[in-house]
Amino acid sequence: MTEQNASTATFEQKISPLLEQFEVQRKKCLKKWFTCMFIIGGLGALFCINISQRSAQPVQPIFIVVVVSGLLGVGILYLITNSYKKGYKNEVVRAVIQAYKPGLNYHPESYVSEGKFQSSKLFLKGIDRYKGEDHISGICGKTDFEFSELHAQYKTTSSDSKGRTSTRWHTIFKGIFFIADFHKDFRTHTVVLPDTAEKLFGFLGKKLQGMNLTRGELIKLEDPEFEREFCVYGDDQIEARYILSPGLMRRILSYRSKFGAKMHLAFLKSRVYIALSTDKNHFEPKVFTPVNDLSQVQVFRNDLDMIIDIIEDLNLNTRLWSKE
Amino acid sequence: MIIVLVAVAVFALFYIVIYNGLVGKKNQVENAFASIDTMLKKRYDLIPNLVATVKQYATHEKETLTEITELRAKAISGSLSSDEQVQVDNQISKAMGGIMVAVESYPELKANENFVQLQRTLNETEEQISAARRAFNAAVTDFNNAIEMFPSSIVAGMMNYARRQLFEIPKTERENIDVGKLFDN
Repeated sequence: MTEQNASTATFEQKISPLLEQFEVQRKKCLKKWFTCMFIIGGLGALFCINISQRSAQPVQPIFIVVVVSGLLGVGILYLITNSYKKGYKNEVVRAVIQAYKPGLNYHPESYVSEGKFQSSKLFLKGIDRYKGEDHISGICGKTDFEFSELHAQYKTTSSDSKGRTSTRWHTIFKGIFFIADFHKDFRTHTVVLPDTAEKLFGFLGKKLQGMNLTRGELIKLEDPEFEREFCVYGDDQIEARYILSPGLMRRILSYRSKFGAKMHLAFLKSRVYIALSTDKNHFEPKVFTPVNDLSQVQVFRNDLDMIIDIIEDLNLNTRLWSKE
Repeated sequence: MIIVLVAVAVFALFYIVIYNGLVGKKNQVENAFASIDTMLKKRYDLIPNLVATVKQYATHEKETLTEITELRAKAISGSLSSDEQVQVDNQISKAMGGIMVAVESYPELKANENFVQLQRTLNETEEQISAARRAFNAAVTDFNNAIEMFPSSIVAGMMNYARRQLFEIPKTERENIDVGKLFDN
Protein backbone atom coordinates (compact mmCIF):
# COMPACT_ATOMS: atom_id res chain seq x y z
CA MET A 1 0.00 0.00 0.00
CA THR A 2 1.48 3.32 -0.97
CA GLU A 3 1.74 6.19 1.43
CA GLN A 4 -1.03 8.08 -0.28
CA ASN A 5 -3.40 5.11 -0.17
CA ALA A 6 -2.65 4.71 3.51
CA SER A 7 -3.43 8.33 4.24
CA THR A 8 -6.64 8.10 2.20
CA ALA A 9 -7.64 5.04 4.22
CA THR A 10 -7.05 6.75 7.56
CA PHE A 11 -8.87 9.81 6.28
CA GLU A 12 -11.86 7.69 5.32
CA GLN A 13 -11.85 6.05 8.73
CA LYS A 14 -11.74 9.43 10.37
CA ILE A 15 -14.39 11.09 8.28
CA SER A 16 -16.87 8.19 8.13
CA PRO A 17 -18.31 8.55 11.65
CA LEU A 18 -18.70 12.28 11.03
CA LEU A 19 -20.55 11.60 7.78
CA GLU A 20 -22.83 9.08 9.52
CA GLN A 21 -23.62 11.68 12.15
CA PHE A 22 -24.58 14.23 9.52
CA GLU A 23 -26.58 11.66 7.59
CA VAL A 24 -28.71 11.18 10.72
CA GLN A 25 -29.13 14.94 11.02
CA ARG A 26 -29.99 15.25 7.36
CA LYS A 27 -32.73 12.60 7.69
CA LYS A 28 -34.11 14.38 10.75
CA CYS A 29 -34.23 17.66 8.83
CA LEU A 30 -35.97 16.04 5.90
CA LYS A 31 -38.48 14.33 8.19
CA LYS A 32 -39.32 17.65 9.79
CA TRP A 33 -39.66 19.25 6.40
CA PHE A 34 -41.89 16.48 5.04
CA THR A 35 -44.13 16.84 8.09
CA CYS A 36 -44.39 20.57 7.53
CA MET A 37 -45.09 20.04 3.86
CA PHE A 38 -47.74 17.47 4.68
CA ILE A 39 -49.51 19.97 6.93
CA ILE A 40 -49.15 22.81 4.43
CA GLY A 41 -50.29 20.53 1.61
CA GLY A 42 -53.25 19.35 3.64
CA LEU A 43 -54.31 22.86 4.59
CA GLY A 44 -53.82 24.00 1.02
CA ALA A 45 -55.93 21.14 -0.32
CA LEU A 46 -58.70 21.87 2.17
CA PHE A 47 -58.58 25.51 1.17
CA CYS A 48 -58.74 24.65 -2.53
CA ILE A 49 -61.68 22.32 -2.06
CA ASN A 50 -63.45 24.98 -0.07
CA ILE A 51 -62.84 27.60 -2.76
CA SER A 52 -63.90 25.38 -5.64
CA GLN A 53 -67.19 24.71 -3.86
CA ARG A 54 -67.88 28.36 -3.16
CA SER A 55 -66.49 30.24 -6.11
CA ALA A 56 -67.48 30.01 -9.75
CA GLN A 57 -63.97 30.82 -10.93
CA PRO A 58 -61.65 28.88 -8.64
CA VAL A 59 -58.62 28.68 -10.96
CA GLN A 60 -56.96 31.92 -9.90
CA PRO A 61 -57.22 31.46 -6.10
CA ILE A 62 -56.11 27.83 -6.41
CA PHE A 63 -53.10 28.94 -8.41
CA ILE A 64 -52.23 31.47 -5.69
CA VAL A 65 -52.54 28.81 -2.99
CA VAL A 66 -50.22 26.47 -4.91
CA VAL A 67 -47.62 29.20 -5.40
CA VAL A 68 -47.79 30.34 -1.77
CA SER A 69 -47.41 26.81 -0.43
CA GLY A 70 -44.50 26.25 -2.81
CA LEU A 71 -42.74 29.37 -1.53
CA LEU A 72 -43.50 28.39 2.06
CA GLY A 73 -41.99 24.98 1.37
CA VAL A 74 -38.75 26.48 0.06
CA GLY A 75 -38.57 28.94 2.97
CA ILE A 76 -39.16 26.26 5.57
CA LEU A 77 -36.60 23.98 3.92
CA TYR A 78 -34.07 26.79 4.19
CA LEU A 79 -34.87 27.42 7.87
CA ILE A 80 -34.76 23.75 8.80
CA THR A 81 -31.58 22.88 6.93
CA ASN A 82 -29.67 26.06 7.67
CA SER A 83 -28.02 24.89 10.85
CA TYR A 84 -27.41 21.46 9.36
CA LYS A 85 -25.60 23.08 6.42
CA LYS A 86 -23.57 25.36 8.66
CA GLY A 87 -22.53 22.46 10.84
CA TYR A 88 -21.70 20.32 7.85
CA LYS A 89 -19.52 23.02 6.31
CA ASN A 90 -17.73 23.73 9.55
CA GLU A 91 -17.02 20.11 10.31
CA VAL A 92 -17.09 17.98 7.18
CA VAL A 93 -15.95 20.45 4.52
CA ARG A 94 -13.27 21.85 6.80
CA ALA A 95 -12.04 18.35 7.67
CA VAL A 96 -11.94 17.37 3.99
CA ILE A 97 -10.05 20.49 2.98
CA GLN A 98 -7.56 20.26 5.81
CA ALA A 99 -6.94 16.55 5.36
CA TYR A 100 -6.51 16.91 1.63
CA LYS A 101 -4.46 20.12 1.63
CA PRO A 102 -3.01 20.57 5.12
CA GLY A 103 -2.39 24.13 6.19
CA LEU A 104 -5.31 25.72 4.38
CA ASN A 105 -7.74 27.92 6.27
CA TYR A 106 -11.43 27.56 5.61
CA HIS A 107 -14.07 30.05 6.71
CA PRO A 108 -17.48 29.12 5.32
CA GLU A 109 -19.12 32.46 5.99
CA SER A 110 -16.24 34.73 5.04
CA TYR A 111 -15.31 35.93 1.56
CA VAL A 112 -12.81 37.99 -0.45
CA SER A 113 -13.25 41.63 0.55
CA GLU A 114 -15.05 44.07 -1.70
CA GLY A 115 -11.98 46.33 -1.67
CA LYS A 116 -9.82 43.62 -3.19
CA PHE A 117 -12.49 42.73 -5.71
CA GLN A 118 -12.77 46.34 -6.82
CA SER A 119 -9.03 47.03 -6.83
CA SER A 120 -8.63 44.39 -9.55
CA LYS A 121 -10.73 46.65 -11.80
CA LEU A 122 -11.98 43.62 -13.67
CA PHE A 123 -15.58 44.76 -13.40
CA LEU A 124 -16.08 48.48 -13.59
CA LYS A 125 -19.81 48.57 -12.90
CA GLY A 126 -20.73 50.05 -9.51
CA ILE A 127 -21.73 47.38 -6.98
CA ASP A 128 -25.02 47.58 -5.04
CA ARG A 129 -24.99 44.17 -3.41
CA TYR A 130 -21.94 42.10 -2.58
CA LYS A 131 -22.15 38.62 -1.09
CA GLY A 132 -19.92 35.63 -0.80
CA GLU A 133 -19.00 32.50 1.12
CA ASP A 134 -16.48 29.68 1.42
CA HIS A 135 -13.28 31.62 1.90
CA ILE A 136 -10.18 29.46 1.58
CA SER A 137 -6.65 30.78 2.03
CA GLY A 138 -3.18 29.42 2.52
CA ILE A 139 0.14 28.75 0.89
CA CYS A 140 0.75 26.25 -1.88
CA GLY A 141 4.46 25.73 -2.55
CA LYS A 142 5.85 29.25 -2.61
CA THR A 143 2.63 30.96 -3.52
CA ASP A 144 0.18 32.40 -1.03
CA PHE A 145 -3.39 32.65 -2.21
CA GLU A 146 -6.99 33.15 -1.20
CA PHE A 147 -10.29 32.60 -2.90
CA SER A 148 -13.99 32.48 -2.24
CA GLU A 149 -17.32 32.40 -3.95
CA LEU A 150 -18.60 35.85 -4.76
CA HIS A 151 -21.76 37.35 -6.11
CA ALA A 152 -21.68 41.04 -7.02
CA GLN A 153 -24.81 42.70 -8.32
CA TYR A 154 -26.17 46.08 -9.31
CA LYS A 155 -29.78 47.17 -9.30
CA THR A 156 -31.99 49.05 -11.66
CA THR A 157 -35.25 50.65 -10.64
CA SER A 158 -37.97 51.42 -13.07
CA SER A 159 -41.41 52.87 -12.53
CA ASP A 160 -44.46 52.07 -14.60
CA SER A 161 -47.26 54.39 -15.67
CA LYS A 162 -49.05 53.94 -12.35
CA GLY A 163 -46.01 55.21 -10.46
CA ARG A 164 -45.13 51.83 -8.99
CA THR A 165 -41.39 51.33 -8.83
CA SER A 166 -39.82 47.94 -9.25
CA THR A 167 -36.24 46.98 -8.50
CA ARG A 168 -34.36 44.44 -10.53
CA TRP A 169 -31.01 42.91 -9.61
CA HIS A 170 -28.41 42.15 -12.27
CA THR A 171 -25.31 40.07 -11.84
CA ILE A 172 -21.95 41.74 -12.35
CA PHE A 173 -19.97 38.68 -11.39
CA LYS A 174 -20.87 35.31 -9.92
CA GLY A 175 -18.33 32.62 -9.34
CA ILE A 176 -14.96 32.00 -7.80
CA PHE A 177 -12.65 34.94 -7.18
CA PHE A 178 -9.05 33.86 -6.76
CA ILE A 179 -6.08 36.00 -5.69
CA ALA A 180 -2.50 34.74 -5.60
CA ASP A 181 1.03 35.99 -5.39
CA PHE A 182 2.57 36.30 -8.86
CA HIS A 183 6.13 35.11 -9.50
CA LYS A 184 7.34 38.32 -11.12
CA ASP A 185 7.54 41.84 -9.76
CA PHE A 186 5.66 44.54 -11.60
CA ARG A 187 4.21 47.94 -10.88
CA THR A 188 1.54 48.59 -13.47
CA HIS A 189 -1.97 47.28 -13.90
CA THR A 190 -2.90 44.81 -16.65
CA VAL A 191 -6.26 43.18 -17.25
CA VAL A 192 -7.10 40.18 -19.42
CA LEU A 193 -10.77 40.08 -20.35
CA PRO A 194 -12.78 37.56 -22.35
CA ASP A 195 -12.97 38.78 -25.91
CA THR A 196 -16.43 39.47 -27.19
CA ALA A 197 -16.03 42.34 -29.67
CA GLU A 198 -13.36 40.66 -31.76
CA LYS A 199 -15.28 37.39 -31.93
CA LEU A 200 -18.40 39.18 -33.12
CA PHE A 201 -16.96 41.85 -35.39
CA GLY A 202 -13.44 40.65 -36.26
CA PHE A 203 -11.15 43.41 -37.47
CA LEU A 204 -13.66 46.15 -36.65
CA GLY A 205 -14.05 44.70 -33.17
CA LYS A 206 -10.35 45.14 -32.66
CA LYS A 207 -10.64 48.80 -33.69
CA LEU A 208 -13.50 49.22 -31.21
CA GLN A 209 -11.43 47.64 -28.42
CA GLY A 210 -8.69 50.17 -29.13
CA MET A 211 -11.18 52.97 -28.54
CA ASN A 212 -12.30 51.71 -25.12
CA LEU A 213 -11.85 54.77 -22.94
CA THR A 214 -12.61 53.09 -19.62
CA ARG A 215 -9.56 50.85 -19.88
CA GLY A 216 -5.83 51.43 -20.37
CA GLU A 217 -3.99 50.91 -23.63
CA LEU A 218 -4.96 47.94 -25.77
CA ILE A 219 -2.14 45.41 -25.74
CA LYS A 220 -2.00 43.38 -28.94
CA LEU A 221 -0.24 40.10 -28.32
CA GLU A 222 1.33 37.79 -30.84
CA ASP A 223 -0.45 34.58 -29.93
CA PRO A 224 -3.44 34.45 -32.33
CA GLU A 225 -5.39 31.93 -30.26
CA PHE A 226 -4.93 34.00 -27.12
CA GLU A 227 -6.00 37.11 -29.01
CA ARG A 228 -9.17 35.37 -30.16
CA GLU A 229 -10.09 34.32 -26.63
CA PHE A 230 -8.96 37.37 -24.68
CA CYS A 231 -8.54 41.08 -24.94
CA VAL A 232 -5.74 42.69 -22.91
CA TYR A 233 -5.53 46.24 -21.57
CA GLY A 234 -2.64 47.63 -19.59
CA ASP A 235 -0.85 50.75 -18.40
CA ASP A 236 2.45 49.71 -19.92
CA GLN A 237 3.05 47.87 -23.21
CA ILE A 238 6.33 46.31 -22.11
CA GLU A 239 5.38 45.33 -18.59
CA ALA A 240 2.18 43.73 -19.86
CA ARG A 241 4.31 41.57 -22.15
CA TYR A 242 6.78 40.91 -19.35
CA ILE A 243 3.88 39.47 -17.36
CA LEU A 244 2.16 37.73 -20.27
CA SER A 245 5.08 35.78 -21.63
CA PRO A 246 4.33 33.42 -24.55
CA GLY A 247 4.48 30.53 -22.07
CA LEU A 248 1.95 32.09 -19.68
CA MET A 249 -0.44 32.81 -22.55
CA ARG A 250 -0.46 29.12 -23.50
CA ARG A 251 -0.97 28.17 -19.86
CA ILE A 252 -3.88 30.55 -19.44
CA LEU A 253 -5.47 29.15 -22.59
CA SER A 254 -5.16 25.58 -21.43
CA TYR A 255 -6.55 26.40 -17.98
CA ARG A 256 -9.44 28.22 -19.61
CA SER A 257 -10.35 25.20 -21.71
CA LYS A 258 -10.04 22.96 -18.64
CA PHE A 259 -12.30 25.26 -16.63
CA GLY A 260 -14.61 25.72 -19.60
CA ALA A 261 -16.23 29.04 -18.74
CA LYS A 262 -15.53 32.76 -18.76
CA MET A 263 -12.29 33.80 -17.12
CA HIS A 264 -11.07 37.31 -16.27
CA LEU A 265 -7.53 37.99 -15.05
CA ALA A 266 -5.94 41.08 -13.56
CA PHE A 267 -2.31 41.66 -12.66
CA LEU A 268 -1.74 44.28 -10.01
CA LYS A 269 1.09 44.95 -7.54
CA SER A 270 2.76 41.58 -8.13
CA ARG A 271 -0.46 39.68 -7.57
CA VAL A 272 -2.79 37.93 -9.95
CA TYR A 273 -6.58 38.24 -9.58
CA ILE A 274 -8.64 35.65 -11.39
CA ALA A 275 -12.43 35.70 -11.71
CA LEU A 276 -13.88 32.36 -12.74
CA SER A 277 -17.53 32.77 -13.71
CA THR A 278 -19.69 29.87 -12.65
CA ASP A 279 -23.20 29.31 -11.34
CA LYS A 280 -22.20 26.27 -9.32
CA ASN A 281 -22.47 26.55 -5.56
CA HIS A 282 -19.21 25.00 -4.37
CA PHE A 283 -18.62 23.24 -1.04
CA GLU A 284 -22.35 23.00 -0.43
CA PRO A 285 -23.87 19.94 1.27
CA LYS A 286 -26.75 18.26 -0.49
CA VAL A 287 -30.02 17.85 1.29
CA PHE A 288 -31.86 15.36 -0.87
CA THR A 289 -29.11 12.80 -1.43
CA PRO A 290 -27.40 10.69 1.23
CA VAL A 291 -24.17 12.16 2.53
CA ASN A 292 -22.74 9.08 4.20
CA ASP A 293 -20.80 7.91 1.17
CA LEU A 294 -17.62 9.51 -0.03
CA SER A 295 -18.90 10.71 -3.39
CA GLN A 296 -19.71 14.18 -2.11
CA VAL A 297 -16.35 14.38 -0.40
CA GLN A 298 -14.81 13.55 -3.77
CA VAL A 299 -16.76 16.40 -5.37
CA PHE A 300 -15.31 18.85 -2.80
CA ARG A 301 -11.84 17.57 -3.53
CA ASN A 302 -12.29 17.92 -7.28
CA ASP A 303 -13.60 21.46 -6.89
CA LEU A 304 -10.70 22.37 -4.64
CA ASP A 305 -8.25 20.82 -7.09
CA MET A 306 -9.78 22.68 -10.01
CA ILE A 307 -9.15 25.99 -8.27
CA ILE A 308 -5.81 25.34 -6.63
CA ASP A 309 -4.52 23.84 -9.90
CA ILE A 310 -4.35 27.44 -11.15
CA ILE A 311 -1.12 27.81 -9.17
CA GLU A 312 0.55 24.86 -10.86
CA ASP A 313 -1.09 25.38 -14.22
CA LEU A 314 0.03 28.99 -14.41
CA ASN A 315 3.44 27.97 -13.09
CA LEU A 316 3.28 30.42 -10.18
CA ASN A 317 5.61 28.35 -8.03
CA THR A 318 8.51 28.71 -10.45
CA ARG A 319 10.66 31.45 -9.02
CA LEU A 320 13.35 32.15 -11.59
CA TRP A 321 13.24 35.89 -11.27
CA SER A 322 14.49 38.20 -8.58
CA LYS A 323 11.23 37.87 -6.66
CA GLU A 324 11.48 34.92 -4.29
CA MET B 1 -19.40 76.28 -54.31
CA ILE B 2 -20.47 75.29 -50.78
CA ILE B 3 -20.40 71.64 -51.74
CA VAL B 4 -16.83 71.98 -52.97
CA LEU B 5 -15.82 73.75 -49.75
CA VAL B 6 -17.46 71.05 -47.60
CA ALA B 7 -15.78 68.34 -49.63
CA VAL B 8 -12.40 70.02 -49.25
CA ALA B 9 -12.95 70.45 -45.49
CA VAL B 10 -13.94 66.79 -45.06
CA PHE B 11 -10.98 65.71 -47.13
CA ALA B 12 -8.61 67.91 -45.09
CA LEU B 13 -10.05 66.53 -41.87
CA PHE B 14 -9.52 62.96 -43.02
CA TYR B 15 -6.00 63.81 -44.09
CA ILE B 16 -5.16 65.35 -40.71
CA VAL B 17 -6.57 62.41 -38.76
CA ILE B 18 -4.71 59.85 -40.84
CA TYR B 19 -1.52 61.93 -40.88
CA ASN B 20 -1.52 62.27 -37.08
CA GLY B 21 -2.33 58.61 -36.65
CA LEU B 22 0.65 57.64 -38.78
CA VAL B 23 3.00 59.99 -36.93
CA GLY B 24 1.76 58.53 -33.65
CA LYS B 25 2.43 55.00 -34.86
CA LYS B 26 5.89 55.91 -36.13
CA ASN B 27 6.76 57.45 -32.76
CA GLN B 28 5.45 54.39 -30.99
CA VAL B 29 7.87 52.26 -33.02
CA GLU B 30 10.76 54.55 -32.10
CA ASN B 31 9.72 54.59 -28.47
CA ALA B 32 9.55 50.80 -28.40
CA PHE B 33 12.97 50.59 -30.00
CA ALA B 34 14.40 52.89 -27.35
CA SER B 35 12.92 50.68 -24.62
CA ILE B 36 14.80 47.68 -26.00
CA ASP B 37 17.96 49.75 -25.63
CA THR B 38 17.11 50.56 -22.02
CA MET B 39 16.62 46.89 -21.22
CA LEU B 40 19.82 45.93 -23.02
CA LYS B 41 21.73 48.53 -21.01
CA LYS B 42 20.43 46.91 -17.86
CA ARG B 43 22.03 43.70 -19.05
CA TYR B 44 25.33 45.42 -19.90
CA ASP B 45 25.41 46.72 -16.32
CA LEU B 46 25.10 43.21 -14.95
CA ILE B 47 27.91 41.74 -17.03
CA PRO B 48 30.95 43.06 -15.04
CA ASN B 49 29.35 41.72 -11.87
CA LEU B 50 28.72 38.34 -13.44
CA VAL B 51 32.24 38.14 -14.83
CA ALA B 52 33.75 39.03 -11.46
CA THR B 53 31.70 36.44 -9.60
CA VAL B 54 32.22 33.63 -12.09
CA LYS B 55 35.97 34.33 -12.33
CA GLN B 56 36.49 33.45 -8.69
CA TYR B 57 35.27 29.90 -9.11
CA ALA B 58 35.27 28.95 -12.76
CA THR B 59 38.93 28.99 -13.60
CA HIS B 60 38.52 27.19 -16.92
CA GLU B 61 36.07 29.65 -18.41
CA LYS B 62 38.52 32.49 -18.88
CA GLU B 63 38.06 32.56 -22.65
CA THR B 64 34.32 32.93 -22.54
CA LEU B 65 34.57 35.58 -19.86
CA THR B 66 37.07 37.61 -21.87
CA GLU B 67 34.82 37.26 -24.89
CA ILE B 68 31.84 38.60 -22.98
CA THR B 69 33.83 41.50 -21.58
CA GLU B 70 35.02 42.41 -25.06
CA LEU B 71 31.54 42.13 -26.53
CA ARG B 72 30.18 44.34 -23.81
CA ALA B 73 32.86 46.96 -24.44
CA LYS B 74 31.94 46.87 -28.12
CA ALA B 75 28.25 47.16 -27.40
CA ILE B 76 28.52 50.19 -25.14
CA SER B 77 31.10 51.98 -27.30
CA GLY B 78 28.30 53.56 -29.29
CA SER B 79 30.13 53.28 -32.58
CA LEU B 80 28.02 50.45 -33.97
CA SER B 81 25.32 50.65 -36.59
CA SER B 82 21.98 49.29 -35.48
CA ASP B 83 22.49 46.05 -37.44
CA GLU B 84 25.88 45.50 -35.84
CA GLN B 85 24.40 46.31 -32.45
CA VAL B 86 21.80 43.59 -32.88
CA GLN B 87 24.48 41.16 -33.91
CA VAL B 88 26.66 41.96 -30.88
CA ASP B 89 23.68 41.62 -28.57
CA ASN B 90 22.91 38.22 -30.01
CA GLN B 91 26.52 37.19 -29.48
CA ILE B 92 26.31 38.36 -25.88
CA SER B 93 23.17 36.28 -25.37
CA LYS B 94 24.92 33.26 -26.79
CA ALA B 95 28.04 33.70 -24.67
CA MET B 96 25.96 34.23 -21.53
CA GLY B 97 24.04 31.06 -22.32
CA GLY B 98 27.41 29.31 -22.62
CA ILE B 99 28.45 30.52 -19.18
CA MET B 100 25.21 29.37 -17.61
CA VAL B 101 25.80 25.90 -19.03
CA ALA B 102 29.44 25.88 -17.92
CA VAL B 103 28.40 26.87 -14.39
CA GLU B 104 26.95 23.37 -14.01
CA SER B 105 30.41 21.96 -13.38
CA TYR B 106 31.13 24.38 -10.51
CA PRO B 107 28.91 23.44 -7.59
CA GLU B 108 30.50 26.03 -5.33
CA LEU B 109 29.63 28.79 -7.75
CA LYS B 110 26.09 27.48 -8.09
CA ALA B 111 25.72 27.66 -4.33
CA ASN B 112 27.09 31.19 -4.11
CA GLU B 113 24.32 33.48 -2.95
CA ASN B 114 25.62 36.41 -4.90
CA PHE B 115 25.65 34.34 -8.06
CA VAL B 116 22.15 32.99 -7.53
CA GLN B 117 20.89 36.54 -7.08
CA LEU B 118 22.72 37.62 -10.23
CA GLN B 119 21.25 34.73 -12.14
CA ARG B 120 17.77 35.70 -11.04
CA THR B 121 18.31 39.30 -12.05
CA LEU B 122 19.69 38.16 -15.39
CA ASN B 123 16.68 35.94 -16.01
CA GLU B 124 14.49 38.90 -15.25
CA THR B 125 16.43 41.17 -17.60
CA GLU B 126 16.33 38.58 -20.38
CA GLU B 127 12.58 38.32 -19.96
CA GLN B 128 12.27 42.11 -20.02
CA ILE B 129 14.40 42.34 -23.15
CA SER B 130 12.19 39.77 -24.80
CA ALA B 131 9.07 41.69 -23.66
CA ALA B 132 10.50 44.92 -25.07
CA ARG B 133 11.23 43.20 -28.38
CA ARG B 134 7.74 41.80 -28.54
CA ALA B 135 6.36 45.27 -27.80
CA PHE B 136 8.54 46.64 -30.60
CA ASN B 137 7.27 43.99 -33.01
CA ALA B 138 3.67 44.79 -32.08
CA ALA B 139 4.31 48.50 -32.71
CA VAL B 140 5.98 47.74 -36.06
CA THR B 141 3.13 45.47 -37.14
CA ASP B 142 0.69 48.24 -36.27
CA PHE B 143 2.75 50.73 -38.27
CA ASN B 144 3.19 48.40 -41.25
CA ASN B 145 -0.52 47.62 -41.31
CA ALA B 146 -1.31 51.33 -41.31
CA ILE B 147 1.01 52.19 -44.19
CA GLU B 148 -0.20 49.30 -46.33
CA MET B 149 -3.93 49.51 -45.71
CA PHE B 150 -6.25 51.78 -47.63
CA PRO B 151 -6.77 54.75 -47.21
CA SER B 152 -3.85 55.47 -44.87
CA SER B 153 -1.51 53.89 -47.46
CA ILE B 154 -2.03 56.94 -49.72
CA VAL B 155 -1.09 59.40 -46.98
CA ALA B 156 1.86 57.21 -45.96
CA GLY B 157 3.02 57.28 -49.58
CA MET B 158 2.94 61.07 -49.55
CA MET B 159 4.90 61.07 -46.29
CA ASN B 160 7.49 58.68 -47.72
CA TYR B 161 6.93 56.20 -44.92
CA ALA B 162 8.33 52.76 -45.66
CA ARG B 163 7.78 49.37 -44.07
CA ARG B 164 9.86 48.65 -41.00
CA GLN B 165 11.59 45.38 -40.31
CA LEU B 166 10.37 43.19 -37.47
CA PHE B 167 12.85 42.24 -34.81
CA GLU B 168 13.78 38.65 -35.41
CA ILE B 169 14.16 37.05 -32.04
CA PRO B 170 17.24 34.83 -32.27
CA LYS B 171 16.90 31.20 -31.30
CA THR B 172 19.14 31.57 -28.28
CA GLU B 173 16.84 34.31 -26.99
CA ARG B 174 13.74 32.24 -27.46
CA GLU B 175 15.26 29.53 -25.36
CA ASN B 176 16.27 31.84 -22.56
CA ILE B 177 14.00 30.02 -20.14
CA ASP B 178 16.27 26.98 -20.42
CA VAL B 179 18.99 29.00 -18.77
CA GLY B 180 16.81 29.28 -15.73
CA LYS B 181 16.01 25.59 -15.67
CA LEU B 182 19.68 24.88 -15.19
CA PHE B 183 19.71 25.86 -11.60
CA ASP B 184 17.74 23.84 -9.16
CA ASN B 185 15.07 25.86 -7.58
